[in-house]
Amino acid sequence: MTSEEGTWRRHARGVAPGLSARVGKAIKCFNPNRWGEFLTTELEVSRKNGLLPGVAFLLLTLSAVALFVIPAWIIQPFRYQSPRALSLALTLRQIAPGGTLLAGVVALFLAMGLWPRMSRWKKAATAVGLFFIAAAAVMARTDYFEWMFHPVSAPGFQSVTDSKLDSGEMVLAVRFGNEARAYPIRAMAYHHVVNDVVSGIPIAVTY
Amino acid sequence: MWKSTVEGRALHFRLAGINNQNFLMRDEETGSWWQQVSGQAIAGELRGQALELAPYDELSFGLWKLEAPAGQVLAPVARDASRYESNWEPKVEKLPTVIDFPRSGLQPREVVLGMEINGQSRAYPLAMVLAHAPVEDRLGGTPVVLVAGPDGKSVRAFRSQLDGADLELFHKSERGWALIDSATVSEWNFTGCATSGPSMGKCLQALPLLKDYWFDWRNYHPQSGIYRR
Repeated sequence: MTSEEGTWRRHARGVAPGLSARVGKAIKCFNPNRWGEFLTTELEVSRKNGLLPGVAFLLLTLSAVALFVIPAWIIQPFRYQSPRALSLALTLRQIAPGGTLLAGVVALFLAMGLWPRMSRWKKAATAVGLFFIAAAAVMARTDYFEWMFHPVSAPGFQSVTDSKLDSGEMVLAVRFGNEARAYPIRAMAYHHVVNDVVSGIPIAVTY
Repeated sequence: MWKSTVEGRALHFRLAGINNQNFLMRDEETGSWWQQVSGQAIAGELRGQALELAPYDELSFGLWKLEAPAGQVLAPVARDASRYESNWEPKVEKLPTVIDFPRSGLQPREVVLGMEINGQSRAYPLAMVLAHAPVEDRLGGTPVVLVAGPDGKSVRAFRSQLDGADLELFHKSERGWALIDSATVSEWNFTGCATSGPSMGKCLQALPLLKDYWFDWRNYHPQSGIYRR
């Protein structure tokens, strides 16, 4: 857009709000400098500028969302995971934190640059897009499986006599050196993994 | 149960996903992905690495505390204890599976004790073992015996060989729970150690067992046979 067109466009916006949004059509409006005269211009140029960033923004949004949604959809419980699908899911999960961040930064710059020239609905669409990218970036960094099964941050232990566990309950038991530890299945079936150190040996108790 | 040291670095694992109903873990240190049942890294920086098995038992608390009176028990996490379920097994048994081996003759959720020796693997259906223990077998060229504990629900496996000679274990029918062996007629307890007779003080080599659903065991041990009486 030339500076002259810019001036006209600002004038158009100032004098006849709403008209300037109709990009690509001739805009006729009052010339504020000369009362009674009209200014007419073609704003075809600004349409050419506007399409590319819009498409780029849309692609960035879709990519960021896909980086979260595709692996989440593949790694679902009660769904068959083929080796190829699993491999794709894990690859996407690996690049998702960086990918969504990059998409977010680029999209934000695009949005900031275009914001003053955007119509109201484009601003709304841009805000929605940015929200989706931000949500994807947060989810890419979130272990949402732990929402359902909370991890054991620091395992605590009881003596045999203090434990209220019923004698018939099953446990996973280890012994290293003189240390013997039992991990009740009842707790393991919920937490699934406990990181521990027994007699100086780091172990991962899994169930 | 795994030793969590890889290349000299202790890893810390978190539950991070699921793969055909066996969960995936991620280590905090490298973000690599690990299959819980196999201990293999399947994606990320440590892909191709395998965790070393930490020998463990799955047995009843009652038996364990007799063997380890000074042992420590994982305390319930206060905020989650209400979510622990004691009777989840019948519920899980009814859940659908995403893989099945219909021609194998076992239901996908049949609980089996999986054993692997020298690259040969076999599944021992738990109900069969509990009904007929001690179960004698040969796997990977090794004589093995699966023994059910005095609680009627815990199972251990041992190499049924002592000083290079095979031995057979039988239940001694009179007074309480005890095993005797065919070679020396010594008495053996559930830890696999002789408590009286000529072998007194000697212990059989314990063998790792994995209690698992058939579909999961079979999925990770495609060559696995099934023990049938």
